[in-house]
Amino acid sequence: MQPAAEVATGVRAGPPPPVGPPPRRSGTDRREWLLAAALLLPNLALLTLFVYRPLIDNFRLSFTDYNISSPTGATPVGTANYVEWLGRDDTRTILGNTVVFTFATVLISMVLGLALALLLDQKLRGRNVVRSLVFAPFVVSGAAIGVAFQFVFDPSFGLIRDLLTRVGASTPDFFQDTGWALFMVTTTYIWKNLGYTFVIYLAALQGRRIDLDEAAEIDGASPWTHFRRVLLPQLRPTTFFLSITVLLNSVQVFDLIYAQTRGGPVGTGTTTLVFQVYQETFVNMRAGYGATVATIMFLILLAITFVQVRVMDRGSTA
Amino acid sequence: MNDLTRRGFLGLAGAAGVAAGLAACAGSGSSPTSSAGGGGPIQFWSNHPGTSKDTETKIIEAFQKANPGFTVSLIDGGKNYEEVAQKFNAALAGGQLPDVIVASDVTWFNFALNKQLAPLDDLLAAAGLKTDDYVDALYNDYTFNGKHYALPFARSTPLFYYNKAIWSAAGLPDRGPATWAEFKEWAPKLAAVVGADKVPLQMADGSNYLDWYFQNMAWSMGGQLSKEWTATASDPKTVAAGTFLQELAKNKWVKFSKSPDAEFSAGIAACALQSTGTLGGITKNAKFDFGTAFLPGDGACPTGGAGVAIPAGLSDERKKNAVKFIEYLTNVESTVTFTQATGYMPVRKSALNNDAEKAFLEKNPRAKVAVQQLAKTRSQDNARVLVPGGGARIGKALDQIVQGQDVATVFAALDKETQAAIDSQIKPKL
Amino acid sequence: MSTHLQVSQGDRHRTPLMSVAGYAAMIVVVLVIAVPLFWILITSFKERQDIYVRPAQYWPSPATTDNYRDTVTSIPFPAYFRNSLIITALLAAAKITLGVLSAYALSLLRFPGRNLVFLVVIAALMVPNQITVISNYALIAQLGWRNTFQGIVIPLAGVAFGTFLMRNQFLSLPGEIIEAARLDGAGPMKLLWRVVMPMSWPTLVAFSLITVVNEWNEYLWPFLMSDNEKTAPLQVGLTLLQNNEGGNNWGPVMAGTVLTVLPILILFLFLQRQMIKGLTAGAVKS
Repeated sequence: MQPAAEVATGVRAGPPPPVGPPPRRSGTDRREWLLAAALLLPNLALLTLFVYRPLIDNFRLSFTDYNISSPTGATPVGTANYVEWLGRDDTRTILGNTVVFTFATVLISMVLGLALALLLDQKLRGRNVVRSLVFAPFVVSGAAIGVAFQFVFDPSFGLIRDLLTRVGASTPDFFQDTGWALFMVTTTYIWKNLGYTFVIYLAALQGRRIDLDEAAEIDGASPWTHFRRVLLPQLRPTTFFLSITVLLNSVQVFDLIYAQTRGGPVGTGTTTLVFQVYQETFVNMRAGYGATVATIMFLILLAITFVQVRVMDRGSTA
Repeated sequence: MNDLTRRGFLGLAGAAGVAAGLAACAGSGSSPTSSAGGGGPIQFWSNHPGTSKDTETKIIEAFQKANPGFTVSLIDGGKNYEEVAQKFNAALAGGQLPDVIVASDVTWFNFALNKQLAPLDDLLAAAGLKTDDYVDALYNDYTFNGKHYALPFARSTPLFYYNKAIWSAAGLPDRGPATWAEFKEWAPKLAAVVGADKVPLQMADGSNYLDWYFQNMAWSMGGQLSKEWTATASDPKTVAAGTFLQELAKNKWVKFSKSPDAEFSAGIAACALQSTGTLGGITKNAKFDFGTAFLPGDGACPTGGAGVAIPAGLSDERKKNAVKFIEYLTNVESTVTFTQATGYMPVRKSALNNDAEKAFLEKNPRAKVAVQQLAKTRSQDNARVLVPGGGARIGKALDQIVQGQDVATVFAALDKETQAAIDSQIKPKL
Repeated sequence: MSTHLQVSQGDRHRTPLMSVAGYAAMIVVVLVIAVPLFWILITSFKERQDIYVRPAQYWPSPATTDNYRDTVTSIPFPAYFRNSLIITALLAAAKITLGVLSAYALSLLRFPGRNLVFLVVIAALMVPNQITVISNYALIAQLGWRNTFQGIVIPLAGVAFGTFLMRNQFLSLPGEIIEAARLDGAGPMKLLWRVVMPMSWPTLVAFSLITVVNEWNEYLWPFLMSDNEKTAPLQVGLTLLQNNEGGNNWGPVMAGTVLTVLPILILFLFLQRQMIKGLTAGAVKS
């Protein structure tokens, strides 16, 4: 059907290929090209219509003073919104919150998710129930989690207060103190989304190549060496995948922050970029400025993801 | 090979057909929602304030009975006022408009400013409907350029709740403080009685409408957050009110939380400022006797809650029908039914002469206090309710004050932000 | 044969000491994860005045099932539940199909601009729904699709996450097996169904689970599209239990949450057993 060498370059074990020109094709690949187009078309059409069309619209509106209640009354303001963004006091705070929240979430939920997946990959009694338990928080809606965690963090009623009072310590005010509020929101989000990293890692572990395990066993490798030399390299594409998706998800957290702190205290204490987009668009009635923040966020994320893809690629070819 | 290719294409034909297949699975609710010309059912978008869906349905049934030929369909507009506004904003971008929406004290104005709400004065006059029976402060809340843009519906005010057992242990008279100065005299006594891990007064924090309650403090001391379209938080009297709040916080006489009714009901706070809308909840939750009282200060109680409004983009026919419905929804019988079921305030003056209401207030002295306070209400400052994002902006400043930042500096910065929003977002459209 | 392999799989280096450590770790995990969930559960069995009390009540006393009765009877719960099932099933079916096919094209077929297309797909993950809903609302309303299932489902059916996940999975498959299948004369679709999919089973299960959870919890878009219980899902219906001006009665809300979460957890219990098949099964078949 096809030259074997070409098949081998098209399909590689390991990480995704570099973003760049695809391998050369011969004329006989026309059918493959058509097939690919047919397979991709429905999905691309949906994404174009319902994601990219609004995104382009959003980009256009970022250069206007659009008020969400006045769909026809937007006047162009040039780059004024972008200039304002650069000069505004809250830009730094909100970017800072977003970076802290996202970085902590990505790092901690990935490490813990992998640890849990490794643990529950072992043949331990009751692991099926514990697997469901780890997954459960991911299933609960953000709004319900917000209520549930009030019973953990509330300085008047919460579990933490209960425990701290028993040992005679005082409870920080998780809702009024900016640092603690950000800590609370981050912790809650990690707790909730552990189920996500866990399930993806678990799937990767379950689907791993057992022959490599067996080879390692024959070599008499210690568990740690086995983990570092056999498992971790095999999980590399999964790690890459999670580092991108967890980042993109956590930058866009909304429900949970709305339920827990509404972006406060002191106005922007736990406001992240997407929360700001909501706030500007629907509360401050400055949809044009909200569109600007959304555009900037999109560009930042695109740049970060591009770098991640590059780094991954360099790592795999090295 | 050919066979395989064909099978391949069958597979992807299936994939391409997914969208078409989904389109075939039309929902059971695919009937058109309203007719463009009029005569169709009146679409009422409500967030059912105070868990009131059943009560709204009851009033709608009575309306349909009294007006044969009219039908109203009650639509779930969202879980709070913000969501109704969001859904209405979406409808403004394209699609069919509802006939009636619930609009809160904060959300109605941006719609009116952008000419998306119909002024009601002419519509009401044309239908021969009078407005002089509405409680004045409540009706006038919706005035803009001399016209009214909503009728008061689910209206609330803040209320002072106090724990009677703690009150008597502290040797205080069985009433609320007449002024904030009096509360300050009482606070140390209350603090001594409740002990270290409890608190004399609980209030909402800056993310949960502290700005609403603070207007009472400011007004009672002669200050205000804005005069018409001028920001006045840096006025010395308003600054004095901010300093007062800061002192209460510094002395740990007040604590702030998400929902102060929880602390109050649990007996952790001796008293609390909360909406009249939570009276029912507190009554069910509190395991002790409590009283309600007017807010401190005379005539310094802000109004709140929501009204009902009609979109400007409707046909005249639909507007005519809609105004008939919202008048019915807020007439004496309806307001009595609605407020007794939810704890909101009757919006009609003559509701107090209604027999059912009299009997109800006789049995519910705490609700009676809230209704009597209506005569002492005052429309809110533009800086909070009419300037977009005003509530959050003021809430932020109050959080800063409570945390000990310099009041004059914080309020000066607040004024600057408020004024900038007024000048750029409102003045050009006046 | 595959059964034999998977049983031995996690057990290779076990010593008694490691077992003890494993169980200890599991207990810690259970505690940290379970406590907030436990609060949701016991709150759903508490009487209203026992929810916010100090000291906290660690066990409902007296316990009541009134909250569950209220939840099921005070809102049209069965209708919302049915809608959630329909919306989730349609979306999961569409997303899994589209995701697998897109991923297959982006990993095992060669065509110009493949990586660019891939980037276009995953860039969709960077667009928050706050900026898409208004514009999509206008489009769907003009089609007359408000209050229909297709109006809820189709705008959400494009799949970026799943394409990314499955592409990653397909690329990690051993090249020699795929090469062998091709040399055997397997066409592209046969390769997908007979070789690639069986070896990707655990990842597909994870993809399905996450998709089901996300669609089950979808709130903003179905809320804007639905006016009542004809099409609105549970997450929208449950908000009817909340009061708007403080004084929320959390008992029924928590009961509703428990009822919403349970079906998904049961599905998880069932599906996570399927995750174990994996490479062994695929290798045996080919």
